[in-house]
Amino acid sequence: MILTYTLLVCLSIFIFSPFVLIMIKSIGKDWFGKLWLPPTLTLDWYKWAINVARLPEVMKNTIIVTGLAVAMSTIVGIFSGWAFGRRHLPGKELLMSMILLPRMIPPITYALGIARIFYGLNLVNTHFGIALAHVTLCAPYAILVMSATFEGLDERMLEAASVCGANPLRTFFHVTLPQIMPGILSSMIFTFTTSYNEFTLTLMTYGADTLTLPIRTYLAVGEGYWEVTSAMSVIMVLPSLLILFLIQRQVKPEQLVGGFKGL
Amino acid sequence: MSEWMIELKGTTKRYGTLVANDHIDLQIPRGELLTLLGPSGCGKTTAMRCITGHQHPDEGQVLIDGQDVTDLPTHRRDLGMVFQNFALFPHMTVYDNVDFPLMIRTLPHDERRQRVTEALRLVRMDELGDRYPRQLSGGQQQRVGLARALVYRPRVLLLDEPLSNLDAKLREEMRFEIKELVTQLHMTAVYVTHDQGEALALSDRVAVMNVGRIQQIGTPRDIFERPNSLFVADFIGLSDFIEARVDAVEGNSTWVAVKGLRVRVETEERLRIGQEVTLFIRPNRVELLEKGAPAGENVLEARVQKLTYLGDNIDYRVVLPGDWEIRVQTNGQQYLPAGSSIKVRLPPKHCHVIAEQK
Repeated sequence: MILTYTLLVCLSIFIFSPFVLIMIKSIGKDWFGKLWLPPTLTLDWYKWAINVARLPEVMKNTIIVTGLAVAMSTIVGIFSGWAFGRRHLPGKELLMSMILLPRMIPPITYALGIARIFYGLNLVNTHFGIALAHVTLCAPYAILVMSATFEGLDERMLEAASVCGANPLRTFFHVTLPQIMPGILSSMIFTFTTSYNEFTLTLMTYGADTLTLPIRTYLAVGEGYWEVTSAMSVIMVLPSLLILFLIQRQVKPEQLVGGFKGL
Repeated sequence: MSEWMIELKGTTKRYGTLVANDHIDLQIPRGELLTLLGPSGCGKTTAMRCITGHQHPDEGQVLIDGQDVTDLPTHRRDLGMVFQNFALFPHMTVYDNVDFPLMIRTLPHDERRQRVTEALRLVRMDELGDRYPRQLSGGQQQRVGLARALVYRPRVLLLDEPLSNLDAKLREEMRFEIKELVTQLHMTAVYVTHDQGEALALSDRVAVMNVGRIQQIGTPRDIFERPNSLFVADFIGLSDFIEARVDAVEGNSTWVAVKGLRVRVETEERLRIGQEVTLFIRPNRVELLEKGAPAGENVLEARVQKLTYLGDNIDYRVVLPGDWEIRVQTNGQQYLPAGSSIKVRLPPKHCHVIAEQK
């Protein structure tokens, strides 16, 4: 019992200490040397982050890119999930492994290839281009979750709807959609976090007009302003925390994980 | 108005090399409750799915009320259906489930409310309209399923093993409930089941199916009393089967030789002398007599091999001369201990011959 708690506390410290460090750094001034806590507190770094690093614009880019990536992945996920979950597909396992491949191998290995192609298509430095690159990582999640969701859908229920007089379209909106909604939601949450945090593929496809939060934060590290970087990190963490909070409130995380059949 | 509410004309459905329905011809008159009865894999479900339109037959036609619906999608066939797993919409309340077909048909609000309330009252679920399906017991869920299938007064009600997921006692109760509802509403209904008890209790007519064909069709009594094949005799009720050979024929009487004994059988079937046949009799139609009973027609010496006491009746294994064993069921009053010598009588009108051997 004591051992368990000790381990849990150690684990929490291990996980949370970098966060705490960053948090304090972002509001502290003149925090050098052997001081335990910063002598003065300030919100200056946040002002810097917003005004000098143009964070609102970066935030806007991030939201556009993430929104596009989530939308595309979800649509791809719904259609492919339907095919995987409800149809007899020859070579289903092989197809699924191919779809999962981008998640299994390091993105850096094909990021350059994506960049090459995107230069040719003038997709570099566009929101759509970056989102499209993100889809390679987001879609596998969406397809996996939606396949499991559609597999769990009771065929008899759809038959019942048709006997009741509902045509396929009305069956979809009145019966299918409400029942796959939890799947769509969990797929959206996971694709959102994937796209929002995505770094490697963005690094290869971003441009001056399409800086995203992770890239901006990384660049700030390079510029050497630790405090500003910390403030950015805190701002970046906020939406993720919000999502986590929403998941905890609305959806049971263990059910979401249940959606990941075979992963 | 056609004479037949449902008509299958040479309906055939194949899955690869497997023939699920082999040229099925079936006519169901208006207001009849017909049961498709058979073991799993006999094609009864496929036949029903051809009627609902969830399967398209490879050959043949499906007619509903004289109209060829073979190429009509399910949602335009105006059918009602009750499912084995209830197939209620889990995200809707009981009320909304029953309202669903009416909402699809865009009926006026007042009429919808009135009809849903009426349908729920009919299945005694009017108190539980705001519950969700998962909050209901199996029997209650199936009542809702029934209300959903009846609320829009479809031309035909289809029931696909509706009681299989319920426990035994409830199954018995709901049999009569369904029968009563269907009769009361003058519905034409097709009932699919593998449970012979259900089929006999419910149906106006029973169609016994085997390997994709209708083996026999008739009233429950016909099917039970005059099965036309070993399959039907074996599938419905208990039977004693004895291999025999036709010995003599005279009018409606046929004498068959069974292991050196002679048994008279009443049959309308025309049989040749010397033909190999199967004699069969229901175990509860065999009469057990005291050892000292006078000899007579179809009275045979026998010995009780063993017996199983079942409460309502006693199940005997009786050995006859020539060392063949039959099963006899009597009511619980006639108790004959194992090993005792007795006589059995095989009443000629309850003995049947079928012109096939296993």
